[in-house]
Amino acid sequence: MAQFDTAVLVAILGAGAIYLCLSRRFLRMLLGFLLLSNAGNLVVLSMSGSPTGKRAATLRNGTEPMMAVDPLPQALILTAIVIGFSVAAYLTVLLYRIYVDSGTATTPGLERAGSSDGLDDGVIR
Amino acid sequence: MNALPGLPILLPLGAALLALLFPRPSPARRVGAGLVLFGLLAFSVWLLGKVMNEGPLVLSIGGWAVPYGIVLVADTLAAIMLCLSSLTAFVCTLFGFAESPMEAEHPLRVPLLLLLVAGIHLSFLTGDLFTLFISFEIFLLASYALMTLQMVATRSRRALPYVTINLFGSTLLLCTCAFAYGLFGTLNFSEIAVQSSAMVGDFRLDILALMFLLVFGIKAGLFPLYYWLPISYPALPTPVAAFFAGMLTKVGVYVLIRVFGTVLPPDLGWVHGLLAWVAGLTMVIGVLGAVAQSRIRSILSYHIVSQVGYMALAVGLFSSLAFAAAIFYVIHHIVVKAALFLVGGVVLRVHGTDRLETRGGLWAAAPVLSILFLLQALSLAGIPPLSGFWGKFLIIQEGLAQGRWTLVVLSLVASILTLVSMLKIWLGAFWSKQPEGVPLRLTPSSRRMTAAVGLLVAVSLGIGLGANRFFSIAEHAAKETLDRTAYVESVRAVNLVLEGGMQP
Repeated sequence: MAQFDTAVLVAILGAGAIYLCLSRRFLRMLLGFLLLSNAGNLVVLSMSGSPTGKRAATLRNGTEPMMAVDPLPQALILTAIVIGFSVAAYLTVLLYRIYVDSGTATTPGLERAGSSDGLDDGVIR
Repeated sequence: MNALPGLPILLPLGAALLALLFPRPSPARRVGAGLVLFGLLAFSVWLLGKVMNEGPLVLSIGGWAVPYGIVLVADTLAAIMLCLSSLTAFVCTLFGFAESPMEAEHPLRVPLLLLLVAGIHLSFLTGDLFTLFISFEIFLLASYALMTLQMVATRSRRALPYVTINLFGSTLLLCTCAFAYGLFGTLNFSEIAVQSSAMVGDFRLDILALMFLLVFGIKAGLFPLYYWLPISYPALPTPVAAFFAGMLTKVGVYVLIRVFGTVLPPDLGWVHGLLAWVAGLTMVIGVLGAVAQSRIRSILSYHIVSQVGYMALAVGLFSSLAFAAAIFYVIHHIVVKAALFLVGGVVLRVHGTDRLETRGGLWAAAPVLSILFLLQALSLAGIPPLSGFWGKFLIIQEGLAQGRWTLVVLSLVASILTLVSMLKIWLGAFWSKQPEGVPLRLTPSSRRMTAAVGLLVAVSLGIGLGANRFFSIAEHAAKETLDRTAYVESVRAVNLVLEGGMQP
């Protein structure tokens, strides 16, 4: 009934993800967000219920309804994985762009690099 | 059943794909984009009238019976939001066309803006939680792309807080969907409304409500989760910034109204109280941030935070009148905020900077622009008879009626400080003398931009002078939002149509 092991796994993944997200290095932040989206997906998956299943809503001719896990969260998770992947791709490119633009791949480096706030640059084209 | 609620999503989506097929900016493409957005606006206004007369329109996609499929529900609140987002998108696009010549226009801006509009419209119309998550992802991805599309190298790092906090928020929203599914066995708003009424007092419902508050508080920019907003918005190109400023945080406010009004039961008193207090702090801290800034765009960005506080406060006060006030405030705020950002964009072009200490002289050189700014600034601060006054008046009236003195005082303080920081812009950019030898770049382009702002200002004046009419629309929307049984009935009525064949 209670999926204690899944809960522990989500907690470990989530804690590791938060730790990495709060890190100063871009690469660790990226890995942190990847882990975080996986932790989220696992939460959705756990809503399928017990892996041993319960009676499915479908009936076969004359036989007992078969045992199955709830399929809907698995459909949801597919969507979430695709979205998570595209967003991770975007984040990778953004972090790379910031690295190219400001020549640093850490957040303290960004603060050192930014003496002006840059808001007047490129106004007049 | 009625296919109409699908149109506000399909039209911009189709137009965005079409615009990708014609990637080169050309007059025909500009006219096409303008026509699509104007058509969307006209359709939304017509839809609002129809929905107010005939009740909500519900579309069950794929013809599935109600708790099993995806439904789109166009009720009065959704139709109001559709009107506002089409209006803002239309004017901001016109402004963008006036601002940059054809060869300087980025070929992806129009399709991305249309995609953003499609995603936002899906979030207004959806009738289930997971589609809400999808719509948030669609418009967030479009907004990430718009944000970094034309960013110069010194500003690209300003996108990082926006992207990271929204990634975190999206994961949290996904988890909230999962918990709601675990709790209710469905993600459909109307079914959740039915089942959650039976669960009042269960602490799991409180936790779910708190998660909703956290997730959509991030999207709306509530204290203490607003820091990303004043960092990222000033770095955007003007038309994009104006659309973001008008619409994006208000999507968060809309979902707060929808979730706390329709989906969750009204017996969550302490969560509503928490929302009201968070909103009170948001108002004051946002406006204090604004007073400390010396750039027009930064001041206006902090004002978004502060103003979101007013709307969230009205949601937290949680009565029929408070909801009507919140909806009226949303109507007022979206128009005024977008117009102010556009005025800021014109000033930026004319002066070459939006720093307030070093420039001035616009009152003498561009009186029309100055008057437009003054009208919107006074409206934001809440001077009668402009639209902002009525919004604040209603919220404070409701606060007094409920005896929430501290919150009322906080909102009055925030209002006065808003006036102070608006005066700061007025004195800095418009009233003070332009230093010798620094030219003002008043061009035909800046006059066209001013004309685009004039459109929004006219709407805003209309809201202020016709406040009675707009308030009755907001009141109708609030009643409908809070009437959960009617919402459930109108969504379930789709099943009758489905069983009786496919006649409408």
